[in-house]
Amino acid sequence: MSQGHELINLAFLTDQEHDLILGVLRRDEELRKKEEMRIRKLKMELQDIRKKGAKRGSRNYSQKACARCQNALGPFSFGAGQCPVCSHQVCQNCRVTTPKGSWKCTVCMKELDLKKATGDWFFDQQINRFTNASGFDLVRKSLKRKPQPNKRETTTEVQQQQQAQNKQSASSSPRAKHRALKTKNVLFENSEGAEQQKSDTESAESHQSTPVFKRRGSLGDAAVPQSIPVNLNPEAFTMSTTTSKSHQAVKSEDSPSKKRSEEPADDTLFTKNPKTIALSDYARPKSVIDLRSEVPQIEENTMGDRSKSMPGLDRDLDEEEEDIDSLVEIHRKSAVRSNSIHSRASSGTLGSMMSIYSEAGDYGNVEVTGEIVFSMSYDTNAQTLCIFIKECHNLAYADEVKKRCNPYVKAYLLPEKSRQSKKKTVVRSKTVNPVYHDKIVYNISQSQLIMRTLQLSVWHYDRFGRNVFLGEVELSLDTWNFKDTAEECLPLHSKASSQSSAYSHYKGELVISLKYVPQSKLQPQKSKSKKDEGGELHVLIKEARGLTAVKAGETSDSFVKGYLLPDRSKKTKKKSPVIKKTLNPYYDHTFVYTGVSFDELKDLCLELTVWDREAMSSNHFLGGIRLGLGTGMNKGQHVTWMDSKGEEVSLWKKMMQFPDSWAEGTLLLRSTMGLVK
Amino acid sequence: MDGKLEFKWFSEISTMTDGDYDYLIKLLALGDSGVGKTTFLYRYTDNKFNPKFITTVGIDFREKRVVYSGSGPNGTTGKPFKVHLQLWDTAGQERFRSLTTAFFRDAMGFLLMFDLTSQQSFLNVRNWMSQLQANAYCENPDIVLIGNKADLSDQREVQEKQAKELADKYGIPYFETSAATGLDVDKAVITLLDLIMKRMEQCVDKTASETANGGGSGKLDSVQAPEKKCAC
Repeated sequence: MSQGHELINLAFLTDQEHDLILGVLRRDEELRKKEEMRIRKLKMELQDIRKKGAKRGSRNYSQKACARCQNALGPFSFGAGQCPVCSHQVCQNCRVTTPKGSWKCTVCMKELDLKKATGDWFFDQQINRFTNASGFDLVRKSLKRKPQPNKRETTTEVQQQQQAQNKQSASSSPRAKHRALKTKNVLFENSEGAEQQKSDTESAESHQSTPVFKRRGSLGDAAVPQSIPVNLNPEAFTMSTTTSKSHQAVKSEDSPSKKRSEEPADDTLFTKNPKTIALSDYARPKSVIDLRSEVPQIEENTMGDRSKSMPGLDRDLDEEEEDIDSLVEIHRKSAVRSNSIHSRASSGTLGSMMSIYSEAGDYGNVEVTGEIVFSMSYDTNAQTLCIFIKECHNLAYADEVKKRCNPYVKAYLLPEKSRQSKKKTVVRSKTVNPVYHDKIVYNISQSQLIMRTLQLSVWHYDRFGRNVFLGEVELSLDTWNFKDTAEECLPLHSKASSQSSAYSHYKGELVISLKYVPQSKLQPQKSKSKKDEGGELHVLIKEARGLTAVKAGETSDSFVKGYLLPDRSKKTKKKSPVIKKTLNPYYDHTFVYTGVSFDELKDLCLELTVWDREAMSSNHFLGGIRLGLGTGMNKGQHVTWMDSKGEEVSLWKKMMQFPDSWAEGTLLLRSTMGLVK
Repeated sequence: MDGKLEFKWFSEISTMTDGDYDYLIKLLALGDSGVGKTTFLYRYTDNKFNPKFITTVGIDFREKRVVYSGSGPNGTTGKPFKVHLQLWDTAGQERFRSLTTAFFRDAMGFLLMFDLTSQQSFLNVRNWMSQLQANAYCENPDIVLIGNKADLSDQREVQEKQAKELADKYGIPYFETSAATGLDVDKAVITLLDLIMKRMEQCVDKTASETANGGGSGKLDSVQAPEKKCAC
């Protein structure tokens, strides 16, 4: 397992090799995306088949009906029987015979097929050995470690250039001399890439012994206290002016050798004592605002830390993808190496930075105005949701002074915030009344759709700086009348007003199976004491998917904790083992609650919460679910915890309807265990 | 293992870019530098031979879409599946080792190759085997052993018997191939694919029976579901 968290040292790669390998990864990623789409489709099909079955909590279910098609099963109906996998009674038509002669019900068959088609049979085993990421991720991250600090260096570099400009004499500073000296020590080989890479690994080894800081780096750690207040200052976000300034700075400073000499030196400083840099460089009061807006990695760092309390920050995958995309792009474009530094600083780094920002909840200083005009339709046959973005009126300027505004519209089907869910319109330049006539299309089944919330946000696109949030609307699709395809004109509002429901942030999902074993079915061999009379509730915690990392860009060591409410004492508290270093942990652990009578089930509520284990501090909440009838009542009294909804309720019902058989479900994790709206 | 293969192959599908396939199967070729991994894969995917030796930089992959129809119980052919093969090619050079082994874990089956004209490459098969055991997705993944360059019979250094014995020791199939002539190239890959498809069936069957049996026996205070072992 030890391979799991280590990154590979790829310092030996030459520049060209690095690029070639990136290219291969890029191709692989395309294939992966295709595969992901295919799997998503398959899973939705299964979801739809499942939903047709009576297994899903319809009250009029009886043992005398087929669990799949709900047709009545006569006492002598031919071919009815119990599916060997799920133990449901199914009729002749709802079974599939395998080549070996045995049969399974349609849903179980589909589930097994899916396990093959999705490659889960393989990944289940892989994860046993490598709790961490796939080899692809490992290599990708290892490769990325090279460009990552590039950003750091680039920005520090820009800073230094500014410093140099400010002082008019860079070389006179003792530091610069130190740098020049360092470079002569031939720390690095011929190409710049190799230098950066090497220095990267050096710095990584020295101050990142705990993998937790891997991405965000210790710089952020050290710099956070100083930089936070500045970052939060809205003035720091007026990008456009400072950006152009920095570009002038970059252009005027066109002696690559000098740059080169500064770069690695900074790295070594870094390695030796990051704190010193943080204090001496960043905490320096002069031209603070300029510096801040030009030092995205600090902001990124703060964000990384803040992600603890910022549930919307489950964006790593996306960001990384974008990172690597822009990287590859840059590698392709830049024939001259030294130029690529600048392009990285401008489009690459800031571009993806802003995306983190957009999710984190810092939205510049724009006062949201205006409205968005759109219409929506759903095609039940094709299972496509079509959103026609017509236009926006009267948007705010991203830069009031310069009257800059290049707006585009971005859509998400919340709670999913993956790349698949993200769609964008074209960008309209220099207007606050953009006309798009652009279509956004989602392939999604109706049953899925009603659980989603459409989020349309308007952004100013800034080629060199940070995109600016201009407002958004959110529409809960369960109440939307899709027959009405008339145009809607809704006022945009700011971010703050819309962060409410427990599901508004995708926290991943939990796969569990429930089974109630009545007393009559329990073997009497175990001579239990009398107080354990009653049946048993078995809770199989299979796995979780897409958990949020506490530190953005990292994995989690997670476990599941269970309580059988109303009893929140040690007696009903159960914990799964900790599964380390993955956001898709496979627990495969069963909680058993004994002495539960069937009648009690309707008054109980199973609370399962997922936690990130922190060795030296308190554990961190990653999400949870509550399973029960969701009546809001417990023995005639109003209680807040009886708040299960949707799938949480239907799974519980399913379990009650079929004693002694497993009811499996995949449940969205709530981002808070407080009251569901 | 040389027995008649019990599946049929239909023509490959020309359009490879769509997502219209039933399974994505990832294979990986490994072995010493210069044994012919790249040319082998090139022969398999494009049915061409490139005699030039261009050393692979770290990793690469090729793709091929094939139709697979597993066999029914009594020789009847089952429903044909479209299989998208991703064939990873790895650098044999030592200096890329840390990179290439990282990719081992993502592959479902392995083409372990040596050069019939190089005794040393054959001796290194053992090392590659242990690399695989340590870095593949499980300890006993599906592997075929391939002795390449069978066409260069006058330069042969490894005898078939030797190689066969080693393969038997590991319990894996052995093929002598030639990327130059195309000899048994398809056969080797197909055999590996067949092994993987069988393992896949077994794994899934096993989970199914686990779920089915798991129902009745919940009596322990904390029923730990049977741990998933790789040996399925």
